[in-house]
Amino acid sequence: MNDNTKSKETILSFEKLKQDILRPMQNHKGLELWIVFLVTVIAVCTWAYYVQLRDGLGVTGMRDYVSWGLYIANFVFFVAVSLVGMLISSILGLLKVDWITPISRIAEIIAVAFVAVAGLVIILDMGRPDRVVNVLIHGRFQSPILWDVTVITTYLVISTLLLILPMIPDLAICKKEMKNASPILKKVYNILSFGYTNTPEQHKHLHKMIRTLMVLIVPVGLAIHTVTSWLFAATLRNGWDTTIFGPYFVAGAFVAGSAALVVAMYFFRVNYKLQDYITDLHFDKMGKLMVAVCLVYLYFNVNEFLVPGYKMKSGDSVHLKELFFGSWAIMFWSSQLFGNILPIILMVNKRFRKPMPIMIISLFVIASAWFKRYVIVIPTMLHPHLPVQNVPDHFKHYFPSSIEISVTVLSFALALLIITVLAKIFPVVPICEIADQKGIDYKIEE
Amino acid sequence: MKNLSTILATLVLVFAFMNSASAEDWKVSATAKKKLNPYELSKKNISSGKKVYQTNCKSCHGDPTKANMLPLVPAPTDLGSQNFLVQSDGEIYHKIKTGKGAMPTFENTLNDESKWMVIAYLRSFDKNKKKAVVAKAVVNPEVIDVKIELNVDADNKKLRAQLTGLKKDGKRVGLEGIEMSFLVKRTFGQLDISGEEAYTNANGELLIQFPTDLPGDREGQVDLLVKLTDEDNYGPVEEKRVLSIAVPTNPKNPLDERAMWGTRANAPIWIIASYVLGVIGIWSVIFLVLFQVFQLSKMRVKS
Repeated sequence: MNDNTKSKETILSFEKLKQDILRPMQNHKGLELWIVFLVTVIAVCTWAYYVQLRDGLGVTGMRDYVSWGLYIANFVFFVAVSLVGMLISSILGLLKVDWITPISRIAEIIAVAFVAVAGLVIILDMGRPDRVVNVLIHGRFQSPILWDVTVITTYLVISTLLLILPMIPDLAICKKEMKNASPILKKVYNILSFGYTNTPEQHKHLHKMIRTLMVLIVPVGLAIHTVTSWLFAATLRNGWDTTIFGPYFVAGAFVAGSAALVVAMYFFRVNYKLQDYITDLHFDKMGKLMVAVCLVYLYFNVNEFLVPGYKMKSGDSVHLKELFFGSWAIMFWSSQLFGNILPIILMVNKRFRKPMPIMIISLFVIASAWFKRYVIVIPTMLHPHLPVQNVPDHFKHYFPSSIEISVTVLSFALALLIITVLAKIFPVVPICEIADQKGIDYKIEE
Repeated sequence: MKNLSTILATLVLVFAFMNSASAEDWKVSATAKKKLNPYELSKKNISSGKKVYQTNCKSCHGDPTKANMLPLVPAPTDLGSQNFLVQSDGEIYHKIKTGKGAMPTFENTLNDESKWMVIAYLRSFDKNKKKAVVAKAVVNPEVIDVKIELNVDADNKKLRAQLTGLKKDGKRVGLEGIEMSFLVKRTFGQLDISGEEAYTNANGELLIQFPTDLPGDREGQVDLLVKLTDEDNYGPVEEKRVLSIAVPTNPKNPLDERAMWGTRANAPIWIIASYVLGVIGIWSVIFLVLFQVFQLSKMRVKS
């Protein structure tokens, strides 16, 4: 093989790489139908939110005792899922784990979408959303709420930067290749590629910045979910009054986030025909990662429930018995079983780490993770320290109203829409990073 | 099996004993015991008492001395029995007023006059004390415009109240044997400083020692309320006064110090510092990176 043929071959494979990844962005009927579907769902559910805005929070199932309901459980879930960006692209990226390259952008897209909607969910939970600025104007430094708002905003900004910065070389390619793109999109590519031409100087400069952000997002990512847990743990209530709530939430977030990433990987692989890039190996590795984070989460669950369950202090015992044998038992045990124990048992087996089985397992993990948050938030609210008395009967129970459910569907549709739109206008698999990794030479012309 | 029945029998006995003990153990304060029936044991009063008794008491207690009460557990007392009537007027009055267990309270269902009439009716069955009861009761003249006049001796912390009323002939006289309450306002409710025998003397006067160790506000001020304990005789008569004779205190407002529970301005320094430094630190790195991104285009190769 002489030098000439070799160079020809590499040029070809970079061309193939470009085309494989850019093709689904240019022409994909199914994707457009999906966007129309999501917009319809959002439009219908926005009406439910309008009703809530017009009539107040009385249209929800929340009353004096359960003042944190479905919305807050959903908020915790969204924050949890968003943590996958920090796990995959920062922690594993800093550890120089190389198999994450093709999936790191999907992780970052999920992080941006979910943390953006998480912030929105909090505003959707407010009876007077016009007063949200008061948190910043009058917020107390002692209150976890102020920290939560700050840290979520910060995480959203860093995640967005960590999505865009590694994408700059790819956007420079898009600028040149995507000839059919709309003028607005062309402008976006032009601005966001920052005149990148892949000079060694630029390459070095860019990667220095990315590494800085990767380091920066680790404490912020830990803080976002730890502070979210403090919203609960800083309250003296049975089920929340625990010292391990911070790491417990973080461990749970890694489980939920990894599962969400696996599902997204599967759908992009199938719909974008990216089998050559998101391979069985990636699902296998993600399976192993999920077993690891599930084991950590299981360990925290054992601590969180066995220790107070052994002592059964008078207040805790009411709460724990409701979870273990009472009206919450089915939800509690199925979330533990399907979200934690069974995935570990199944995924240690190689056959279940194939794309299809692991995707199905991940769907169960996501659903369990969502219900787990519900079980964390609502049963504690139903068991205040002072007896519930002299109140109407419907104050003593909680079930989300149809308005609440619609607004929650709205949040999911919105997150999916953000992911879809980002995947429509940006390449979901990093072109240049894969080329770098495979040792393929490429040039980016202005 | 034998053991079990022994235990059960013991329990039943203990329970029965406790029950009867609690029935006997109806404590009435010394002040309440001292109260005397202000109404005469006249025929008229006894007959009107009988009416009240028959509508309100008979259904459970039966007829006095006939022992035909309802078969309840514990059994209602025969109110005409000597065992019952050894109690003072005040004791019986208190029991009618407060009630206990199955015995309902008559505080609001019967007015004071009716309660005393019932007692007068029951006393008519009392063989031993009939005379003593009839004997002495303070009789004040008919008066209008009843007033409490309060004098404060700040040096000795003594309060002198005088209860007077205007007679028909325009003369103001002191009212004797009337109970008064001296109440000092505290954070939760009112503190009664009247003592055991807060009855006016022949001149309508009553002298109360203000507690020497009672804390007041920064200036040693407290709110005092003097009123007639029993409003039935002359209606609600009261006198309010701010006294400066309590011990001055310097209460600390827990909101004044820097603490986790404080206002935003009184947040602990360390938490403000952590927040501000954290935000400045992280966001300056973000802005630095943003600035650096714009440097990229300067490094490009122009084609």
